[in-house]
Amino acid sequence: MHGTLNDQSLIYLQIAKMLEDDILRGVYQEEEQVPSTNELARGYNINPATAAKGINLLVADGILYKKRGIGMFVSQGAGEAVKQKRKAAFYDGYVKPLVKEGASLNLSGEELLAMVHRAIEEGEPL
Amino acid sequence: MSTGILKAQGLCKSYKNKQVLHNLDLTIEPGKIYGLIGRNGAGKTTLLGILTAQNTKDGGQVTYNGQDVWENQQALNDICFSREMQSTMFYGRNNLKIKHYLKSAAIYYPNWDKDYAQRLLEEFKLEPQKKIYQLSKGQLSMVTITIALASRSPITILDEPAAGLDVVMRERFYQLLLEDFAQTNRTFLVSTHIIEEAASVFEQVIILDEGRILENCPTEELVDQFRYISGREDEVDRVCAGLEILSVHQMGRHKTVAVRGSGVKLEDARKADVDIAPMNLQNVFVALCSHGDAQ
Repeated sequence: MHGTLNDQSLIYLQIAKMLEDDILRGVYQEEEQVPSTNELARGYNINPATAAKGINLLVADGILYKKRGIGMFVSQGAGEAVKQKRKAAFYDGYVKPLVKEGASLNLSGEELLAMVHRAIEEGEPL
Repeated sequence: MSTGILKAQGLCKSYKNKQVLHNLDLTIEPGKIYGLIGRNGAGKTTLLGILTAQNTKDGGQVTYNGQDVWENQQALNDICFSREMQSTMFYGRNNLKIKHYLKSAAIYYPNWDKDYAQRLLEEFKLEPQKKIYQLSKGQLSMVTITIALASRSPITILDEPAAGLDVVMRERFYQLLLEDFAQTNRTFLVSTHIIEEAASVFEQVIILDEGRILENCPTEELVDQFRYISGREDEVDRVCAGLEILSVHQMGRHKTVAVRGSGVKLEDARKADVDIAPMNLQNVFVALCSHGDAQ
């Protein structure tokens, strides 16, 4: 695990997001064990119940699973599942606000799309 | 660890003409870390004293597993309230040594863990031979914390344990608390004024305001009900209709409002042309308890 708890969102969501980030980065590979609730609690000085809530969120999304008596493990295909989840969140969290901000600047749809194309061309090759 | 439910019902307490607790109900469930927050004079220490039968009450009842705690040795064996140390005693210096306090704690608390107390003394660099009046405010807090943790009581209550500690020791204290909690799963009730750094440690937060319990619920659940909404005055007013408004700041036509609402109503606000920012526990506390003192 890396990173610190500092942004304003709820702590259990931050814990879930950090675990997801680490799965995407390959810190935790499929079928590998992730830190326990108590390890997370100790590492970040948070209540174990909060850490458990973050982990349970990922269990509900099929990203982690529990091996009885051993601990929590990364599911098969977890990386892909995280990406799918992030794509949905990307639409709500980035694309919609982008369109909203464009509208408040009176940009037309074409102008907005042209800007997106330009950003793609100027940016890192995909 | 098998711990029971500590329950207060209809507590009333007055000092002379001033009523400090108003018909107060509180339930402390086992296996959780509770944070008790309240302003100066809200009645925190009085409440903790009454919960642990160290202070008298004018009305109401305190029970542990259904048994009245007053003069009930069996119930009080399970409860530790480690009070703030005083460097003066009656009209003189407190000449007792740290080791005297530890010795009497070993008698009072049936689950006393001597080795753990020893480890904590070393961790805090406290010398058992030192007299209480020679200690700094931070060191007095450390003695209080040592006694509380080493008591290994199923219900352990700490009143302002962080108050005298520097920021490094405060962090260390919460680490020690969580480590012990992970091992024992005992119940902790901790009061503090330094809210934000403790927020992540508290599973449940109790807000005491002018002798009444305003809130007793999971910390994140509480915090998530509050938002700041800001933008153009008319747009903010439209979005905030139907939401509980806690404070308003206005600069020209720009308005910022602190609101409380259910998830659904706050979701509606997201579609409008306003900025929505989350609050932290400290913001929530100020919004609920400032009574116009803070600007």
